[in-house]
Parts: sequence; structure tokens; C-alpha cells
Amino acid sequence: MKTNSIINDFFLVEKVNFFEQMLNQIPDLIFQLTISPNDEFNITYLNKNILSYFELNKFELKSNPIDVISNKVHPEDRDAFFTSLNYSKQNLEPWRCEFRIITKNKKISWFKVDANVTSDIDKNTIFFSTLTDITDIKEREIKVQESETRYQFALEASKKGIWDYNLTTGNVFFSKESLDILYLDEFDDINTNSKWDERIHPNDLKDYLDSIQSHKDRKTPYFENTKRVLAKDGSYKWVLSRGKIIERDENGNPVRIIGTHSDVTHNKEKENELLDHLDIIIEQNNRLLNFAHIVSHNLRSHTGNFKMLLNILDESNDKESKEECLSYLKTTSNALSETIDHLKELVDIHNTIIHKKEDLNLNVYLNQTLEVLSKEIKDNKVKIVNKIGEKDTIKFNPAYLESLFLNFTTNAIKYSHPERHPEISYSSSVEKGKLVLVIEDNGLGINLAKHGEKLFGMYKTFHKNENARGIGLFITKNQIESMGGSIEVESKVNVGTTFKINFNEEI
Amino acid sequence: MKKFNTIFVVDDDMVYHFIIKKLFSKCNIDVDTKYFFNGLEAIDELRDKVETDNIPDLILLDINMPVYDGWQFLEEFKKIKQKLTKEITVYLVSSSNDVTDLNKSKEYQDEVKKYYYKPMTQEDFETIFA
Repeated sequence: MKTNSIINDFFLVEKVNFFEQMLNQIPDLIFQLTISPNDEFNITYLNKNILSYFELNKFELKSNPIDVISNKVHPEDRDAFFTSLNYSKQNLEPWRCEFRIITKNKKISWFKVDANVTSDIDKNTIFFSTLTDITDIKEREIKVQESETRYQFALEASKKGIWDYNLTTGNVFFSKESLDILYLDEFDDINTNSKWDERIHPNDLKDYLDSIQSHKDRKTPYFENTKRVLAKDGSYKWVLSRGKIIERDENGNPVRIIGTHSDVTHNKEKENELLDHLDIIIEQNNRLLNFAHIVSHNLRSHTGNFKMLLNILDESNDKESKEECLSYLKTTSNALSETIDHLKELVDIHNTIIHKKEDLNLNVYLNQTLEVLSKEIKDNKVKIVNKIGEKDTIKFNPAYLESLFLNFTTNAIKYSHPERHPEISYSSSVEKGKLVLVIEDNGLGINLAKHGEKLFGMYKTFHKNENARGIGLFITKNQIESMGGSIEVESKVNVGTTFKINFNEEI
Repeated sequence: MKKFNTIFVVDDDMVYHFIIKKLFSKCNIDVDTKYFFNGLEAIDELRDKVETDNIPDLILLDINMPVYDGWQFLEEFKKIKQKLTKEITVYLVSSSNDVTDLNKSKEYQDEVKKYYYKPMTQEDFETIFA
């Protein structure tokens, strides 16, 4: 036994030396910390690396370890350092902590301590610790975190969402900002491409798919598309998507597309508003052009006639030809006054301040008109069919509604077919929530292919009728439009004409 | 030899008809003139006489007229032009100084020889009939 003991002792000494040497050789920083029951700190072991690493001087080695450690650990990390140490001591659980150390030349290094804890019979707590320099890792981590924060901030500030589409699985990752646009959250089931596509407005889907396909086919350097997407509340949001294929397989097929989403609803609404304004401007501009056209055609011809007639009058010697001239001057003067009256009427129509809208019952106004025209209706044996709803009411100018019924009715009688009794049918219906008035006759009809363009023009007539003045439809159309409505026409020669008036007013 | 013997005046304005008549007598131009009030009346007459010698040498055509305006007349005129026994000169005569009308007249440059503004003057007549 004794021999054994000697041998054991020998080996033991050898072993201790061996470990000692090993501990000094390995690059890690190893130390043993013992904390007594009355909280006295003792460094019971240090490997040589620690001495060189921290450049500990003799004075420090003799000082109280708590002071030395406190001094080295970055002030901001000190609390966390000692709290975690105390926790491990009390619970005898491994001690792990990351902290900064300020080196002699005021540099900051990151360290990680990893220690197992035991206690001995004297109630000392012993920490078997290794220290690792993690400055490089930590710096990289901080950089990544910084750039991620910056990126995240940029995305949040620009309200841009991120999506990441895996074409192999069909799965898409949508960032919170992307989902926010549609009032969705991570619990809403929208993690595949097909579920996203289902939300796209049917009218926008083709453009969207075409745009992606062009990018897949390498025709475009990236894909960009604006479309309406269904939000959770049932409304449509305008979403601008931009994306780029970042990975293709060996056959060149796209595998992964990453991109952004932006909510451009507000911009789109503004854009539409602008387009509406543009429409109004174009309409007003057309009206001005039309006015200039009327002036050019109708006023100039009268002034030209005046000039020529006065020339002729000057050169006429006999009484007879002078009188002839005067009679033509009178005709021209009357025609000019009439044209000016019509132009005045036209300008007034578009001055909406003069013509207020009132609630008017269609039936009341139709019956008034039929009463006024009762003699013509009787003389021409006109059959009237009234299918207008009893309570159909519109917001319109009373004088305009009167002139509307009067014009369409007298026109239908004026241009009735010689081979049959005129029949005029009035009906009302609701299309897309708006009231529509339809007036149909069985008269001569108009060749719309030939005359359609000028049907509602000023002084345009199409039939060989002496009473035709070509002002009624022109005025009526302008009146309807000034009330916000529109007019459509369908007609077949020898069959009849149907006018459809859209009041364009929600009911 | 006279430049033009038979003339069609196509215009819905009877005052204009009167002025034209006066200009003819004043300039001592002796021609056979027919007056029409719209494009349809004129084209109907032409169609009736398309393969006879009884067609005009000159047409003074207004643009803005009821039933068939000047443009519609020209469309129809295009279709029968080939069948005519002699060439007919067409002058547009309009009070319109609208650019759209002037540009449109260029679409008919095979049919329309010249564009005159109303009122037509004695000088215009002298150039046409000299």
C-alpha cells in the first residue's frame, strides 16, 4: 500500500506539474475565484496568460481583487457583472456574463466569462472560470445590429414593407410593415404567394403578373407594379411593389425574389383627383373651342353678309333693287339677333349660380308638357306610353326639365315616320344606383354613323324638314350636362330613336 | 373660251345666294348657275346626272349646312368622281376661319382646289372667272 502510495504521490506531483504547465500553455484565460462566507474575494488561481493579458502589476496583484476587478470592468457593465456573480453564488449555478474591460491604454475589449460553481465544507464559493476575448465577435454583432436598426428605422420611416418570396415552396415572408398596409398581422393567414395574389383587384391582376413575368424573363432589371390590394376591412389599398430576383437555379429559373411594398393609396387618390380636375378642364376647354367654333361659323357669316349687302346697296340705282337689298339686310339682322340670343342662352346654362337645382317629380313635369302639347298630340294621333315610376324624383332645374320633355316630345312628333302613327314611350329605371330616363319613339330615326358626331351640335339638322332649326338638342344636351348628367342616343333609320338621360345622381 | 360654264352654288344661306347673283351680274359673268340649300340636294343632282354632259364645271361649296354639310358632300363626291364625264373644280367657301376646318380641307386636297373665306369679293370672282 505504501509503495502504491509513493507511486501515487509521485504521479500526483507529476500530474499537478503537468496540469500546471498545461494551464499555463493553453491560450485561454483561466482563473479560480473563491468567495468566503463573509464575502471576501480571493483569486486562488491565475494562469500566466491572465497576467500578461491584463498587464497586472505587482501592486495590483497585492490589492483587493474586488477593487482590481471593479477598476477594470467598464462602469456601465459593473452592476450586471456583480449581480450575475452574486446570483451564481447564491444558486450555485454556472456564471456567465459578457462585459467590457478597459485596458491600460484606455481601449475597450469585450469578454465573456464562463464558470462552474461549487462550495466547499467551509462554505466558500469557488468559481472555476475561463475568460474569452470576444471583442471581434461583439464588434461584428454590434455592426450588424446597428445596420439592422438603421434599416429597420429606414423601413419604418418610409413605411415600406419587405417581402421575400421563395418560388420553390411558394411561401412568402411579409414584414410587419407590409402586413400593416392591409391592416393584417402575423396571425392572419397570408404566407403564400397565391394568398397574396387572391387579394389583388381583378382588373389589376394581369398587369401585375405580366410585370413579374417580364422580370423573370430578364426583360426588366427589376419588377415594379402598382395595383389595388384588398385590405382586411374590405377596402382596396394601392400598393407599389418593387422586387428583384436574387437567386436562380442552375437552369436559370428564379428561386427567390425579394422586394418592398409601399402604400401609395394617398398618392393614387391625389392622382385621381388631378385626373378628375383635368377632365373638367378639358371639358371646359372643349366648350370654349366649341364656342369659338360657333362664333367663327355663325357670327362671321352674318357680318360678312352685312358687308356685302351694304356694298350692293351702295351701288344700286333703282328703287326695286334697293328694297330687295334692305329686305335681305333685315333677314340678316334678325338671324344675327337670334344667334346672339342662342349664344347668351348657352353661356347662361353653364353659369350654375343662376340655375339652382330643386327636387322635381318626373311624372309631374312630363304631364305638364303633355298638357302643353295636347293639341299637337291630338292632331298627329300620337300614342303616349308613360312608364315613369310615380315617385321618381330628381334634383334638376325646373326650367331645364320642362325644356327637356318639351324638346324630346316635339322632336319625336316633328320627325315621326309618315307611314305610321307616332308612339312615344317614357320610362325610368335605376342603373348602378342612379336614375335613368329613357324616351323612345318610332319615328324616322337618324343615321348615327353619318350624323352621330354632329347630332348634338349647334344648328345641325338631319332631315329635310322646314321646321328644323338645329338648336333644341344642342341646348338640351348643354342643360343636362350643366346639371351633372349625360345623354346617350341609339337610333335606326326608319325604326326610331331612343334617348337615354343619365341623371348621374345617387338615389 | 370661258373657264366655267355651269356652276353649282351649295349654301344654306339665301342671303348668300342673293349676293352671289349680284356679283355675277356686276362682273358681267354669264354662266348657268344652280343653287342648292344643302349638300344632299347637290349630291342628289350630281348622282342623277353622273354619266351625262349636264354636270357643272365648278362647285362653290359651303361647309356648315343642314342635312349634309360640306364634308359629307365631299365624302359622297369622292365616290362618284371617277364616273364623271369631265373634271369638276370644287372651291370651299366658308365664313369659318377655324383652323380645324382649314386642316380638314387638306384631307380633301384631291377634291378641293381652294379655300375661300366669306364674304366673297369682286376680286375673288375676277380671279376665278378671268
